[in-house]
Amino acid sequence: MILRAAYFLKRALRNMRQSPVLSMASIGTVAVALALLAFFAIAVLNVQQLTASWGENLAIVVYLDDVPDEKIVKGWAKDIGTYPEVASVTFVSRKEAFERFRKRLGDDADLVEGLGPDVLPASLEISLADDWRSESVLTTVVERLRKDHRFDDLQYGQGWLEKLEAFLFLLRVSGSALGGFLVFAALVIVANTIKLTLYARQDELEAMAMVGGTSLFIKLPYLVEGALQGLLGGLAALGLSFLVFQLILQKSLGSMLLITGIDTIHFLPPIWPGLLIIGGGFIGLLGSLFALRKFVRFVAP
Amino acid sequence: MIQLFNVCKAYQRGENALNDITLKVEKGEFVYLTGPSGAGKSTLLKLLYCAERPTRGQILVNARNITRYGPARIPYLRRNLGIIFQDFKLLKRRTVYENVAFPLEVQGRKRYEISKKVYQTLKSVGLEHRLKHYPLQLSGGEQQRVAVARALVVDPLILLADEPTGNLDPEVTLDIMELFKSANARGTTIIMATHDRNLIRQFPRRIVALDAGSLATDDLPLFRGTNGISGQTGMTGQP
Repeated sequence: MILRAAYFLKRALRNMRQSPVLSMASIGTVAVALALLAFFAIAVLNVQQLTASWGENLAIVVYLDDVPDEKIVKGWAKDIGTYPEVASVTFVSRKEAFERFRKRLGDDADLVEGLGPDVLPASLEISLADDWRSESVLTTVVERLRKDHRFDDLQYGQGWLEKLEAFLFLLRVSGSALGGFLVFAALVIVANTIKLTLYARQDELEAMAMVGGTSLFIKLPYLVEGALQGLLGGLAALGLSFLVFQLILQKSLGSMLLITGIDTIHFLPPIWPGLLIIGGGFIGLLGSLFALRKFVRFVAP
Repeated sequence: MIQLFNVCKAYQRGENALNDITLKVEKGEFVYLTGPSGAGKSTLLKLLYCAERPTRGQILVNARNITRYGPARIPYLRRNLGIIFQDFKLLKRRTVYENVAFPLEVQGRKRYEISKKVYQTLKSVGLEHRLKHYPLQLSGGEQQRVAVARALVVDPLILLADEPTGNLDPEVTLDIMELFKSANARGTTIIMATHDRNLIRQFPRRIVALDAGSLATDDLPLFRGTNGISGQTGMTGQP
């Protein structure tokens, strides 16, 4: 059994050595398709993670243009704290807000040099209790606060969140559609590449059939070849996406997401690299199955 | 060994490639299949190794009706056949050794068994010194000898040869015929398609002549073959 498997593997490797250009084309196609898929996944997963963290921190901010006496502000905070939906109310002074902003800028903190804390308003940050953390509760609390003339400048980002969620949904749908399209394109190209190699080896297939090779015996080396090319393509896609992630994505995506408070951009989650390689193998196997479906029937009627 | 009953083969063009062929070939016989181009010689051979299916009629090989064979059984029938073509059909990217070893690999034989058998067979066709050569490094005659070795390496019950000497010069043709004769002497039934009258005169055997897809004549050999075939084996296609 093992000897037989080794025989088919040897023949598949030999086929690949004999048609290096076609093999490279198959591997390259799978690699590019899966690498693009991986880029999309990196972007979507990072943005998704970001919105998840925002979801956890659903909060209402009451900006205070004129900061009253500390005692009064504490009274306000106490009043709001009596709402059953509210977990905590924190007063953030102008100075604290400015410090926070400086920290968030990190290396670019020198941008605010020369500016004083007066540029930012003080605020009351209201966070919701765990059980009440939803958009509808947020709206109810905001409506209740609006009725109180003391709090007229409220920010809670509900509309923005909705838009972000819609954007994420669009990103996920278009990512899946593009991914599906890319995988399908890779499948077709791999199938056609293998078909080309089959045409080039028609004499060999005929000879195999004439000396009594069963359909499986004739097909197996090509199936192994397809799967091997796919696995190598998956591996190349992983390497390529990691390289692009290190050199380009991490910086560009990082600066895009900086303003949102995310400081680390993550590569694919641990299970993804394995999936990418196995997925490549699967594409290669399926591609060669398509190519062989009609071909071997013709050679061995 | 081989029996054909009212076999017809029609292609989609409408014309019949074979018309109502009834024929019997005994075990160990050597039969020439002759006739002009397009007479149906190759079609008849293709029916015997199941590359084509008859439109009508039955074919029995070794008392089994091969017209009923499905795709899964055909390979096992072919493992008992040796098939030789005019254009050799060797694997150009494989060495002489690998070409001859191929049918044994297909049958899943052990490696030491394969190497022993391949060497013996190549020695019998006089090519044991060409083991590592590729087909395109050999002459036409040598390539056909490799093809014969590939066909004989499995000790086939039946050897089907489609114009095997068509591309060869007379001297090499004689070499190939000697190989066929010795295989036949060892008990292999041989059906050889040819239109080389000189060859038939030099090696007289039973002649089955086809013309426009019909059985024209089925003549017994003027001289007995080396294996002493019987004169009762031939059947004409006429009722």
